[in-house]
Amino acid sequence: MPEQNRELELFFEQVAEGRVSRRQLIRRLGAAGLTMSSAGTLLAACGGVKGTDKGGAVKKTATHPKVAVKQLNFSNWPLYMDPKRKVLKEWSQANGGAHVRYVEEINDLDEFFGKVRQQLQRGESLNRDLVVLTDWMAARWVRGGWVEPVDKANVPNEKNLQPGLRHPVWDPNRSFSLPWQSGMSAIAYNPKKTGRKLHSINDLFDPKFKGHVTMLSDPHDSAGLMVLLAGKKTEDAKLDDVLAGIQKIDQQNKKGQIRRFTGNDYTTDLAKGNAWVSVVYSGDVFQLRKDVPGIQFIIPDEGALLWTDNMMMPQKPPHPYAAETMMNFVYEPPIAAQLAAAINYVTPVVGAQQAMEKVDPTLVHNQLVFPDPATRAKLHPYVTLTAAEERQMNDAMTKVTGA
Amino acid sequence: MLSLRSRRALFPYLLLLPGLAWLIAFFLVPVLTQSYVSLESGNLEQGFQFNWAWHTYSDAISNYGDQFGRSFLYAGIATVIALIISFPLAYYIAFRSRRKNLLLLLIILPFFTSYLVRTIAWQTILSDDGFVVNTLQSLGVLGPDGRLLATRTAVIAGITYNFLPFMALPLYVSLEKIDRRLIEAATDLYASRFAAFRKVTVPLALPGIFAGSLLTFIPAVGDFINAQFLGTSRQYMIGNVIQSKFLVTTDYPTAAALSFMLMGVILLAVFAYAKALGARNLTEAAV
Repeated sequence: MPEQNRELELFFEQVAEGRVSRRQLIRRLGAAGLTMSSAGTLLAACGGVKGTDKGGAVKKTATHPKVAVKQLNFSNWPLYMDPKRKVLKEWSQANGGAHVRYVEEINDLDEFFGKVRQQLQRGESLNRDLVVLTDWMAARWVRGGWVEPVDKANVPNEKNLQPGLRHPVWDPNRSFSLPWQSGMSAIAYNPKKTGRKLHSINDLFDPKFKGHVTMLSDPHDSAGLMVLLAGKKTEDAKLDDVLAGIQKIDQQNKKGQIRRFTGNDYTTDLAKGNAWVSVVYSGDVFQLRKDVPGIQFIIPDEGALLWTDNMMMPQKPPHPYAAETMMNFVYEPPIAAQLAAAINYVTPVVGAQQAMEKVDPTLVHNQLVFPDPATRAKLHPYVTLTAAEERQMNDAMTKVTGA
Repeated sequence: MLSLRSRRALFPYLLLLPGLAWLIAFFLVPVLTQSYVSLESGNLEQGFQFNWAWHTYSDAISNYGDQFGRSFLYAGIATVIALIISFPLAYYIAFRSRRKNLLLLLIILPFFTSYLVRTIAWQTILSDDGFVVNTLQSLGVLGPDGRLLATRTAVIAGITYNFLPFMALPLYVSLEKIDRRLIEAATDLYASRFAAFRKVTVPLALPGIFAGSLLTFIPAVGDFINAQFLGTSRQYMIGNVIQSKFLVTTDYPTAAALSFMLMGVILLAVFAYAKALGARNLTEAAV
């Protein structure tokens, strides 16, 4: 009964995510003709909620009194801050010389999660105040109840958040998270090598480019683009659509079309002329243009993906108020503009575009940093999947990427 | 107060202590914990339970048999090529050269830079628009669409290059130790130079060949750097799978199971190899 199992699993996940109360659970199990005792064994057998169920609703609000800010432990991705860390210094000055322990330790979401998982599941503090996680991983942390709610009174600048980002499915009221940056996953190519303009996701599979195409090994990006190529919107896509996309990638890979599956290291292949067409992250394109003059970034006709990395406080943060002042600080439009100018991703802060006039006027109308409504209309989020589906997707993709 | 005799008896163990402690802390304990992990099942988000999940081993074999086979094939080819390159090299340095130390230094010199940097440097050397590929194309060795980087050739070449000193140095040591008078005696007894080489030099160099091939083959089988940087997913070896299972998909049980199977197969291969070369000859020759 695979179909029934899947439904059950989805249902348990709703329980884990707090979308279904325990009373509803018992009622629904009762309706399904299960007695209390068998419901218990079912729960145990599924193992679906172990380690995620905190035995009741997770608290969604918190009050963090204003205290003197002395220190902030901030974990982020590499190259996700202006190179001279001016933003951090300015925050520190605004807070009486508070010390920021800024660690670029998040290279890979699963790897980072593997590193802190046991502490999270034991309910321990990670001794980090802020971490920056991409939507799907952020959703996992919210589901697990491993995050501290944001005291919104301390983050008045949240009003500057892009309206389109205010209600993600996994954190409908932004109780636990605030976007750090968004970015696009789309296509870049070297016109000197391709000899023509590209405009479609299907151009990745042009036999003329055989052996010179790279794709990201993360299925959220690569399979997401395949879903768009198949003419579906990622908003409506299901696991099957994603798996079909992975199968398409597999066929092309077996034909030798795809040279490599990469993380951020596709930039080397593009720069050296090994790769002609690549699935890329928008923020890397600025640097690439310096390495390879003439390189083109396109949002294909079928659309591209827009993802968001979110600031979150892991459970029991040592300095929650300090973290909130940082969230508030980077939502000041001039600061947001400064950050966007340095790291070239899509800023989630309304007003940053006007503030950019003073920081770097050449970027004000740059579609990579400030996509206009017409561009935004072509951008779609990652496919939303349950934790179990997410694993199925990853398994399928790792079989294709050979590891 | 211990008697002199019992103190004497304890002394060897005292000498062994640092080595034993190191082995226990960094070999025995990890092996035991990983064998436990390999029999767990579950996933990172919901936790792992220990339940004698032997099926992880059979699943791993059926899913990753290709990468297993490839690892042994690539490492085997690389070991043979390294031996073919190293033997004349070591022979020359040991018997003919006046600048032994300089030549040995040149062999070791690349080791002063990081393994990763050396491999990534090959990415540049072998890149599609690079000098090597252009030359080979103009010579007609490579077709106009041909490439070196991201092929099997590049991966095997990378492994050979990176492990060559592990082959050359033990070979040099065993050749250097050979008593020249034995070779002279052989020629005095009317052996041709080739016969002397085959019947005297090679058997005496066997311990070096044995040590060199093991030092090359064993790390090469588990290597993932060369396949990752110089190959594509179609060249991935078992090391790539284990690396990705541990760090990317966080499937710890499969990663641990694969590591154990790799260790087991390597042990068997080494025993078979020692048997074939004749372990007694080896120890005798080494004395």
